[in-house]
Amino acid sequence: MSQSLRPYLQAVRSSLTAALCLSNFASQTAERHNVPEVEARTSPEVLLTPLTVARNENERVLIEPSINSIRISIKIKQADEIEHILVHKFTRFLTQRAESFFILRRKPIKGYDISFLITNFHTEEMLKHKLVDFIIQFMEEVDKEISEMKLFLNARARFVAESFLTPFD
Amino acid sequence: MLLLDYQNVLIQSVLTERFSGAPPVVIDQTVSDFDGVKFHISTPEGTKTKIQVSLQIRCYGDLVRYGAEEVLNREYGQYVVPPEPGYDFSVLVDLENLPEEKEARDELIKKISLLKRNAMAAPFEQAYQEYYQLKQEAAKFTSEEAPQGVREGGEVKAIHYREEEAIYVKASHDRVTVIFSTVFREETDRVFGKVFIQEFVDARRRAIQNAPQVLFRNEPPLELQGIKGVNNSGSGEIGYVTFVLFPRHLTPQRMPDVISHIQTFRDYFHYHIKASKAYIHTRMRRRTADFLQVLRRARPENEEKERKTASGRTFKVGS
Repeated sequence: MSQSLRPYLQAVRSSLTAALCLSNFASQTAERHNVPEVEARTSPEVLLTPLTVARNENERVLIEPSINSIRISIKIKQADEIEHILVHKFTRFLTQRAESFFILRRKPIKGYDISFLITNFHTEEMLKHKLVDFIIQFMEEVDKEISEMKLFLNARARFVAESFLTPFD
Repeated sequence: MLLLDYQNVLIQSVLTERFSGAPPVVIDQTVSDFDGVKFHISTPEGTKTKIQVSLQIRCYGDLVRYGAEEVLNREYGQYVVPPEPGYDFSVLVDLENLPEEKEARDELIKKISLLKRNAMAAPFEQAYQEYYQLKQEAAKFTSEEAPQGVREGGEVKAIHYREEEAIYVKASHDRVTVIFSTVFREETDRVFGKVFIQEFVDARRRAIQNAPQVLFRNEPPLELQGIKGVNNSGSGEIGYVTFVLFPRHLTPQRMPDVISHIQTFRDYFHYHIKASKAYIHTRMRRRTADFLQVLRRARPENEEKERKTASGRTFKVGS
């Protein structure tokens, strides 16, 4: 792990652990409704101050807490065109499977690549520290995966080009 | 498996089976090949012993203009018959009149399965001939005083072998330039294509010094200026890949191989782009499964249920 990644992940981990303090809270505006307040945004008094943890201008995490839900949006590093395409494909692939991921939001927040929405119901059935582990591991592996895919693509391209041109030699 | 074959494998296998001495049967088979080329293998007029192979190719008009008929007549000679309606070129083989030796038969099979390659080879062969001529003429002059025609080289031969894509071949006195225009349907293909092409361009510098020079650009190269039908939009969807064949690739001995090989470029290139996409997809699938596994760990273990032994007694585990 590189020198600046560790404190970045540590900061995200602590902020998330602190933010994941959710309780059941029925909607104040609609009777018999119980919705994630961070999405509904109907009662400003139950929304908490959003927090951004940024490693640099291309990598950051936005944590938006509220009384019964929390939204985490991640911006993944994209250094060039290839990484941009790969990130786009990968996040699309994940969001299409949002159903089985429970906490994955189907659509990322504007300006970010992928978003998670954790409600009090999730924290009731799942272990909080494991959820945090998941987010952190996701952030770690997504970067690794993208750069591996990029390396693979370059290696393959090189091999393919050389095998095509060898018969001319 | 990395490089594509030059011949059509299906035609090859059908003919190999038929030529092996098996009892003749009625055949009526349509075979597709790259670039929208269609073959029709049939036994016409109810005679089971005669096999006709017809070829339909989009750019036959272009090819004829560049001498395809001579090339095909040279290659297939006695087997050529008037083309079947709806097709551009046909050959007919009489099973009762096959060559005696096995080698000659295999040779014939190979030749017929190379029908598409041979049809497409005509403009390249013509460019080779032009190059030989120009080289001779250019040898009489120093480079400054060569007359216009010799310095500029021959005309550009365009083969519109796909709906939006074409191959351009141009001979000069010291090289033959082959330009492929290729369309990238979507953004991903475009980006992947760029990575691949970059490696083609660099391969010469790095590993294979004697390979043809490869150039890539999104605007039509200078050679194609003023050619009819060249898309000038510069939208980035179309790329132009230029191969510069140097004299060492242009010897008569190497001509057949070089022509066969360069024809497969477009299919090879796009095939590997698609293959990389497929690989990346399976990789993402695997990674997603890993993530799910991690998420599943967040769920506490299920409460231990009561278990029963075979005899019906109940007990609890671990407590």
